[in-house]
Amino acid sequence: MALFVQLALNTLQAGSVYVLFALGLTLIFGVMGVVNFAHGQFFALGALLTSVLVPALHDSLGGSVAIAFVLSSVISIIVVLALAAAAYQFGFRRYLRDMVGSFILSVGMLLFFEGLFLWIFGGVPRVVPNIAPGELRILGAAIELQRLIVCAVAVAIGIMLYLMLGYTRFGRAVRATAEDAGAATLQGVRHKRTLLYGFMVGSFLAAVSGCLTAPLAVITPSVGNDYLIKGFVTIIIGGLGSIPGAIIGGFAIALLESVVGYYLDGTMATIGMFCVVAVLLLFRPRGMLGHVQH
Amino acid sequence: MYSIDRKFVALNVVLLVGAIAFLSVSESTYVTQLIVWSAINAVLAAGMRFVLLIGETNMACGAIYGFAAYLTAIGVTNGFDAVPLVVTIAALGGGVLGLLFGWVTLRVKGPYFMLIGFAFTEVIRLAYTRIDYVGGNSGMVGIYAPISLDRWMPAICVAVCYLLVIGFFAAEKSSFGSLMHAVRNNDKVVETLGVSALRVKLVCFVIAAVAVGAAGSIHAYSYHVISPGDFSFLIPVYALAYAKVGGERHVVGPVIGAIFLTVISQLVQGSGALQYVLFGGVIIVSMIGVRGGLIDIAKWVRCRYRIGGARLRVLKDPASGELG
Amino acid sequence: MQLRASLRAVLFGAAFSLAVAPAFADDVLKFGVSAPMSGAAANWGIGCDWVGQKVVRQINDNGGIRAGGKTYKVQLTTYDNLYTAAGGAQSAQAMINRDGVRYIVQSLGTAPVQATQSLSERSGVILLTTAWGKTIKGPKFPLTFTNSNTPYEIFGPLFALVKEQHPNIKTVALLNPNDATGQQAEAQSKLEWGKLGVSVVSSSFYERGTTEFQSIATKLAATKADAVDLGGSAPGDAGSVLKELAVQGWAGVKLYPAGTGSDTLVKVGGKSAEGVYMGQGADFSGPTATKLQRDLDTQAKQALKEPLNILQMGVWDGVMAIKAGIEKADSIDPKAVAKALSSAKPNTSYGPVGYGGTATYGSPQQLLVPVIITQIQNGQTIEVRRVKSPDASGG
Repeated sequence: MALFVQLALNTLQAGSVYVLFALGLTLIFGVMGVVNFAHGQFFALGALLTSVLVPALHDSLGGSVAIAFVLSSVISIIVVLALAAAAYQFGFRRYLRDMVGSFILSVGMLLFFEGLFLWIFGGVPRVVPNIAPGELRILGAAIELQRLIVCAVAVAIGIMLYLMLGYTRFGRAVRATAEDAGAATLQGVRHKRTLLYGFMVGSFLAAVSGCLTAPLAVITPSVGNDYLIKGFVTIIIGGLGSIPGAIIGGFAIALLESVVGYYLDGTMATIGMFCVVAVLLLFRPRGMLGHVQH
Repeated sequence: MYSIDRKFVALNVVLLVGAIAFLSVSESTYVTQLIVWSAINAVLAAGMRFVLLIGETNMACGAIYGFAAYLTAIGVTNGFDAVPLVVTIAALGGGVLGLLFGWVTLRVKGPYFMLIGFAFTEVIRLAYTRIDYVGGNSGMVGIYAPISLDRWMPAICVAVCYLLVIGFFAAEKSSFGSLMHAVRNNDKVVETLGVSALRVKLVCFVIAAVAVGAAGSIHAYSYHVISPGDFSFLIPVYALAYAKVGGERHVVGPVIGAIFLTVISQLVQGSGALQYVLFGGVIIVSMIGVRGGLIDIAKWVRCRYRIGGARLRVLKDPASGELG
Repeated sequence: MQLRASLRAVLFGAAFSLAVAPAFADDVLKFGVSAPMSGAAANWGIGCDWVGQKVVRQINDNGGIRAGGKTYKVQLTTYDNLYTAAGGAQSAQAMINRDGVRYIVQSLGTAPVQATQSLSERSGVILLTTAWGKTIKGPKFPLTFTNSNTPYEIFGPLFALVKEQHPNIKTVALLNPNDATGQQAEAQSKLEWGKLGVSVVSSSFYERGTTEFQSIATKLAATKADAVDLGGSAPGDAGSVLKELAVQGWAGVKLYPAGTGSDTLVKVGGKSAEGVYMGQGADFSGPTATKLQRDLDTQAKQALKEPLNILQMGVWDGVMAIKAGIEKADSIDPKAVAKALSSAKPNTSYGPVGYGGTATYGSPQQLLVPVIITQIQNGQTIEVRRVKSPDASGG
């Protein structure tokens, strides 16, 4: 029983961050038809800046680590959004709906940013102090309080995203553009602006996942790569462009990791993840909840 | 379109003979190696472009490339000395793997096919790390051609790569190539003519797999040591980068792209963290700067030269047959 | 960082010419380092380069190296071997054939070192390495030497000491990264624990680059083993695992035999890193380190924001070894230098040390730096025992 609860807690917490990351990726693909392999770099920048700023702000301003963390996250997100806007304006704007072209451009960005971050931040592993010391013990299993908080924040943001897409004008514009850009324009949706904002929201999600991961993991400039691979696997499982699909996919991957990681080991979990994806796609080529490709 | 004319054949023969001659007598090991690596990458890139002609992105080429390299390593370390035989068997092995993979997965399209290929490459790579027979993470060493052939190996490698690229060109220009173009445009129409689109895709895929397999075998003979990390998803990603940066319009594009980026990646060796900044920067600039790839720069330059420097803007032809 | 960037730019420009570089340009000896400088292990390469530039500057400031009546200055460049065979081969080509390096003073990673070796031995270039693997050394590879101890020297004394201090350990659970280091550490761990009668109840591998260690910790905790052996895991990963183990309520004897970064371990693991035994976690700021090591370590903390590990300190030792070899042979010819090394006593960062290891490898190619066993106590790395390297046949 304790084991079951422990695995469930592991899945819940890891999955919530995977889901946030994948939501950004699937949004960008759904709206713009762009495969953004540099999504992991936005994540990494968010994590790196947070891991640098939290100790700095905490030392200079005092107060609790949690406050320093919130402040650092806000700053990091702003920086990442600026970078994302630049990447869109000068790069992705020319490769809309071109899956392969945007992919290669984003690979160039991945290499460029990874080298840049390594040069700027150095390879030193960074750690953020615990933002909420203590553990929760439930039914024989244990989880750090800060992990629970991160999970709660991730879920909250997910819900906000869902509401935004479902009920705001901007959200409807995004969904309309994703479904049929021409018809959306005919309805008065400002196409270029919607695309830009869609990209920014997606990148915001990457940055937020990075900030939330900073207290939980050891942060180096290559921290985004692991999430990137899992993110793509997630959105393919869930169906490209599908928000509920990304959520299901994210938790599915986390569950697979928890269970296989426990009964076999980490490497087998990774192999298993790829095998599951391959087999799933053979039987359901659009992913579980994917739309038909236009 | 292009008809096979004497000048074209003559040019290629001259280039090939010249390359072989240079590589046989050259004392500069570094330049020789650079040429061999560029040639291998050119085959990878041309193979990637070949499959792009049916509208699919072949991310499984990493697995096929690595499989052939491992077959070669196993052959050589078990005493098989006949280089042509080993390369052929490895190439055919790659073809068989490609056939099996393609037969199962080619029903799937677009980004999904891309990701299955990606997953396949990574699973195979991870599998190598856990198999002791092929050395696990430490890989396999000692992959040398017999000493008598040692001097000629660079020339042989480059000649084989050259012929493979010519082979791609010939396949593309043949009637089968037209079928491939047709399938890319609309496979339903092709089916109404009684041709199985799936079969066309599969044959195309296997052709590319055999060529990539040969390249993998040459990789093993050129590097002498292989490890699982050499055959990750970065192989197809770089192949795609070479093809896109060079230009997809013509088979020469990926070759140019491969040579260009291979040389750049070697030049930045020794720059530490800046290495990736420079290499990634080159890719970004190439993708943003010239949409059609480097061959379009060549065309643009030639046009301006012919017009005699008059201030004419070369209009980009949207119907230039550019892929993707 | 800025200085190094412009130094890189200058070297990049200088290397632009593809013509064969002269082997020695005007009395400058070219040294090379082959290490990962990107990806998860980037820090190793960056630190190695920093140490390399320091020792080279010290040599040049003190008159360079004298041989055959001439005085030579030294130049050192670090090449990224990507931790793969292909990367090793490419960096070896750039090092040896493009830039004319004749002495590779440090190289990390079994696969890239094997690739480098296939070129270095044929080209008459000396290769110093930290790579493990018995097959890398021996009479078939006369130009290859190791700068530091491997699991074959470390694990035996380390495990024996732990069993001595905790005689009731009966079971151990292993964790290693899925790379050459991890695989070799796992094999040696199994062997040595077997000799002591401790049974290995589970052995897991994880992929480098993993960020989530909860499931791994759940698995380790569920084995209820008396001890956990983290093998060759990365320091940050080891710290994360220990932290999770503590959260999930496991308490036992902790070993990190092949770990190189005690500072990161403590930073990440916090209280859970208390009591960890390490076999390669030398603390170069403690009282048992030499003054040279302490000074280097302090400067490194400022420049690199983290202390030096054994692999990086090995660059100093490698460079000094080549210097000693050249001076003993009174020649800059790598083959002569290699011959001289077996009886030379380089002035390493630990003091004068010779080469040995004939019993294990077939010829004296192991630099006999001491095996330093440490334990984390109150957040500090405390030296517990210093063992003279087992094969002291070199002196």
